[in-house]
Amino acid sequence: MASRALPSAIAAAALLVAACGEEKVSVYKVPKERDPVLAQAGAGQQAPGSPMAGAAVPTAAGSALVWEAPAAWKPKEASAVRKGSYSVPAGGLESDLSVTAFPGDVGGELANVNRWRGQVGLSPLRPEELEPSVSRMEANGLNFTVVELSPAADPAGSSILGAIVPYGGSTWFFKLMGPGAAVRAATPAFMDFLHTVRAP
Amino acid sequence: MPEVLRQFRSLFVSLKLTIVLLALSIVLIFWATLDQVHLGVWAVQQRFFHSFIVFARAGELRIPVFPGGYTIGGLLLVNLLAAQAYRFRAGWGKTGVWITHAGLILLLVGQLVSGLVQRDFQMSLDVGETKNYSESDRRNELAIIDATDPELDGVVAIPESFLARGAVVQSPALPFRVVPGEYYPNSTLQMRSQAPGAPPTPATQGMGTQIAATPLEVTYRENERNMPTSFVELAGPGGSLGTWMVSPLLGMPQKFEYAGRKWKIVMRPERRYQPFSITLEKFSHDIYPGTDIPRNFSSKVRLNLPDGAAPREVLIYMNNPLRYAGLTYYQQSFANNDRTSILEVVRNPSWLIPYIACSAIALGLVVQFMTHLVAFAGKRRAR
Repeated sequence: MASRALPSAIAAAALLVAACGEEKVSVYKVPKERDPVLAQAGAGQQAPGSPMAGAAVPTAAGSALVWEAPAAWKPKEASAVRKGSYSVPAGGLESDLSVTAFPGDVGGELANVNRWRGQVGLSPLRPEELEPSVSRMEANGLNFTVVELSPAADPAGSSILGAIVPYGGSTWFFKLMGPGAAVRAATPAFMDFLHTVRAP
Repeated sequence: MPEVLRQFRSLFVSLKLTIVLLALSIVLIFWATLDQVHLGVWAVQQRFFHSFIVFARAGELRIPVFPGGYTIGGLLLVNLLAAQAYRFRAGWGKTGVWITHAGLILLLVGQLVSGLVQRDFQMSLDVGETKNYSESDRRNELAIIDATDPELDGVVAIPESFLARGAVVQSPALPFRVVPGEYYPNSTLQMRSQAPGAPPTPATQGMGTQIAATPLEVTYRENERNMPTSFVELAGPGGSLGTWMVSPLLGMPQKFEYAGRKWKIVMRPERRYQPFSITLEKFSHDIYPGTDIPRNFSSKVRLNLPDGAAPREVLIYMNNPLRYAGLTYYQQSFANNDRTSILEVVRNPSWLIPYIACSAIALGLVVQFMTHLVAFAGKRRAR
């Protein structure tokens, strides 16, 4: 008997040890909790690997800016994040134009320029380097901060031509992004387009 | 006694076995320490100590190469118990030795128990925030939440391992089956608009349709975390509801409606709820004057107890954790410009065992020494 009891005891102990590590589906009720609010607006444009949220982003409320896009630009489906979305053909290439708006200053100009720089593989700017690398213009009573970001080291990589516009307590972002050549070819049309942006 | 049994007995009671096992454990510890450079402390513990056998990889093959911590510790325990039983002689002369050995046995058993039952979690609190759950810093879960009730959420939490092995889940709390599809143990996400070359997504519902997931190499580093992505199909009796992309990287639940009820689906760090809650009242990060060198981190928390008991104010700082309901809350880290405190939450029912075991070993040694001393002194006096 004893010779059988020992293997059985070992098998039972092994099962017990194995059972300790087993994971189960659990079902429970908890008081309702609020969904996390985005720590950083501008989701959908974040660097890869960072927490991202898509649909339920708190975009800017209130009156929206209006604009006139050239007929050659193909409107794309706007999403919960994008107030406007176009495919911009130029020089046989295409780039993507997104119009987004978020409440407040979304971390300020420097943070947003640096966020865009990160998206095209450029290193962030120091505060004192911001002013020389942006251009400012005024149109229809709005102040535009325009940045051109194209990595010199990689002419085939993505470039960004963007404009940041504070309006009605929110910040609007017009971002043209695509292959360097496509963005360069679309630059005149994009600048003309910015001049059509106005308050309703 | 049959010859075979006799051989077994003399093997298990032998001091040679003890020496061999101690030598093997020295090799194991040395090897694990070196491997910590590649794997990090957590993975090393799993591979070398919380295992019966250490495997090496040769291409796709896993080859057993060395006994793991459980095997060596278990055999040491058997060796010690067998030797005790075999050599036991009644009498007071060896009392100290017995106590010392009992302490050693307790130490080995305690290690085994804490290896099996200890769970580490984290609680991250902003100043003013209250939470009644802690989160795993390694493991994730898929939570499908029935959010129809305005007061209570009904949660079905599915461990990540189910997604990893594609196990279909059918819960009485859900009017649909959960069918895991593609699964990446570590991944990064990008908006599809910024990743024009990304392959088509299996997701047909929610945010996943606009997002491209790229698998990444699994990380074992201590300060990095794997961010899995999985595609999960929900299938009702009338057919598929669609496929959702889920990942802790998405940051917030995705909502949908089915069978007249509101649902949320989210992959998040595995949660453990407690019947009490903790509010962070203040976080202090003191530095030595004129330097950036930290002097002290402390969290002033309020422990909100169930059943209307008066809340308790507790200050948690280095070496002064909060112990409550079998959980220990240590000050671990901070974030967000000193506005977020991160507490490590450890559940280890066997935390007292090493203290008791070491005390027993010390007591046994003292008793043994005193026994000899008294006997020696008695002999001298007799002369």
